[in-house]
Amino acid sequence: MGRIEIPLGPQHPALKEPANFRLYLEGERIAASNVALGYNHRGVEKACEQRTYIEDMYLIERVCGICSHSHSSCFISAVEEIAKLEVPKRAKYIRMIIGELERIHSHLLWLGVAAHEIGFDTLFMYSWRDREVVMDILAMLSGNRVNYAINKVGGVRRDISEEQKEQVLKAVDILEERTRYYIDIVYSETTLIGRLKDVGKLSYEDAVRFGAAGPVARASGVDRDTRRDDPYLAYDEIPFNVITDDHCDVLGRTIVRAKELMESYKIIRFALKNLPEGDITTRSPRRIPAGEALSRYEAPRGEDVHYVRANGTDKPERVKLRAPTLANWASITNMLDGGYLADVPIVVAAIDPCISCTDRAILIRYPDSRNENLMDWNSLRKYSIDFYKNKGFNAKNIRMNIK
Amino acid sequence: MGNEETIKAALLQKFPQLEGKCEIIRQRRITLEVDRSRLIELLNFSCSELKFNILCTITGLDVGDDLQFIYHIANKEGIVMNVKTNAPKTDPVISTVLGIYNGATFYERELEDLLGAKVEGLPEGRHYPLPDNWPKGQYPLRKDWKPENINQQNKKEE
Amino acid sequence: MVIDKVVNWARIKSPWIIHFNTGACNACDIEILASLTPRYDLERFGILLRGTPRHADILVCSGPVTLQTKDRLIRIYEQMAEPKFVVAVGTCACSGGVFQGCYGVSGGIDSVIPVSAYIPGCPVRPEAIIDGVVKLLNSLKNK
Repeated sequence: MGRIEIPLGPQHPALKEPANFRLYLEGERIAASNVALGYNHRGVEKACEQRTYIEDMYLIERVCGICSHSHSSCFISAVEEIAKLEVPKRAKYIRMIIGELERIHSHLLWLGVAAHEIGFDTLFMYSWRDREVVMDILAMLSGNRVNYAINKVGGVRRDISEEQKEQVLKAVDILEERTRYYIDIVYSETTLIGRLKDVGKLSYEDAVRFGAAGPVARASGVDRDTRRDDPYLAYDEIPFNVITDDHCDVLGRTIVRAKELMESYKIIRFALKNLPEGDITTRSPRRIPAGEALSRYEAPRGEDVHYVRANGTDKPERVKLRAPTLANWASITNMLDGGYLADVPIVVAAIDPCISCTDRAILIRYPDSRNENLMDWNSLRKYSIDFYKNKGFNAKNIRMNIK
Repeated sequence: MGNEETIKAALLQKFPQLEGKCEIIRQRRITLEVDRSRLIELLNFSCSELKFNILCTITGLDVGDDLQFIYHIANKEGIVMNVKTNAPKTDPVISTVLGIYNGATFYERELEDLLGAKVEGLPEGRHYPLPDNWPKGQYPLRKDWKPENINQQNKKEE
Repeated sequence: MVIDKVVNWARIKSPWIIHFNTGACNACDIEILASLTPRYDLERFGILLRGTPRHADILVCSGPVTLQTKDRLIRIYEQMAEPKFVVAVGTCACSGGVFQGCYGVSGGIDSVIPVSAYIPGCPVRPEAIIDGVVKLLNSLKNK
């Protein structure tokens, strides 16, 4: 079976890109597909070895702008484990609160992007407007909308005041009401269901076999969540549910993410109400003693894994990052094969890839003719919206009424 | 600590040469070192018998004369095993684990691209993560490699 | 002369943008998209996000240029019709940012194509994006 290649290509049809996206079609359906990645490779792991732990913190935060806190916390936890530091409880709670806020912003972002891919721009605008509520809260708590830099080795940089607690709780109330509405739409809007159901199927066995992570795995019934299985920070003290779903398709992934939003609201409320007193940081050495640690974190996209080896100096010996999206790329071939070409945008969007969606090109090869067609992402997106319009699913007709 | 002890006991029973090389470093973390000739057997056993069916990632390191490979595998109780194996730089060959963990392709390509390892059994395919026009023989993650090596090349092209 | 003025006016009143990510962490790209959403609403300035470089006046770029995206960036720049302007969004696009010196990146956007405006920030706030683009448009007005 082929592997999938995702391209980043120019839009000119005549230019033969070593296409990163190869789809072999039979009629309207995809018979085989091919993937190649790597265009975002910047050499972060090597750079980490040449910078101090403190400088690495800022670098690693910028591996991904959407789950920056996840990467930062995961890395810091590994470093703290090697240095055998006792991170104060209050700091752990603050990290969790920021982490859950990040999950909220990420899932709302995804909801908008997925809606955009199927032509449902109204939902895109609404969900991103709601996302601004979260961005404001994060800016209030940390000083920046993105890349919060709330962590330091041994704790957090900023505390949460009583006033800020009130603001966060108010924001969570507003968001919860809006999310409930979105969940309603997902379950009841026929157009939406028509676009998302039975699309991008990934069976339970395949999800396990290819090592899918996060909401993608949970939507195929795989009951896996690092927060519950391998608790980090103080997740073992907070009651929450792991959301799984049996749809095994894009609809399932949407439902899982929407319901996870509700769980995040619960976690934030609990954490704020039970925020332990105490310091927010502990003294940490500049030189980390020799040792190694592997830490895992449930980022919005799935399990994030960091391995750090220290050698007694103020620079790490080795830092290895496995971002969650990489775990999901292996399953993409399975999801695409047998499906319609028109489903490609939403299926790829549904694994919530942490790469920019602006410039991707697709090389379509028809097995019976010598023809080759280079399609760019926007054309594919338009093609898919038109394809489904002809089948009676026009997302532009969906009326949303929300305050 | 119950489960970690059972797992360690099962491993030592099946692979007595692991004696002294298998350590429980903390709750839910086990580290062990195995010879590369027994790697596949051990991973197979861990996956099928001990239910460590999640491959988190594979870390490759430059440890001087050797290359070290650490396979981080987990089970659904959240226990992670760090299985270490070495291969000399003069013969940096290891077997693919694709037969046990289907999602390993990208991790193994990374070892080939960034460290110059040779993964036997890995099917032909595109580079990952380096670009196609990356010069041969340049392995960024090796300790003796400097970013200046490639920046020099880039400057020459301009 | 009059034609020039009219064309210039049309261009300033409704610049069309193409957005390209040259290997960024996505934070700047998300903020660029966020500036299209109701709160910041770039479209009220007549700014439209297009999908192809051939329709665009302004190339909005984020990210330190990774080796794989270098060629694509050049190609996209060449496909745009004159007069064209490039806006480097974010500290990485301005100078390489935190990734300066990494082997996978070649540095700021200006190491590859000429840049008309630099908007620093990590990531850039949507207000700053609007400010930068408006400043660029104002400078065109004076031409």
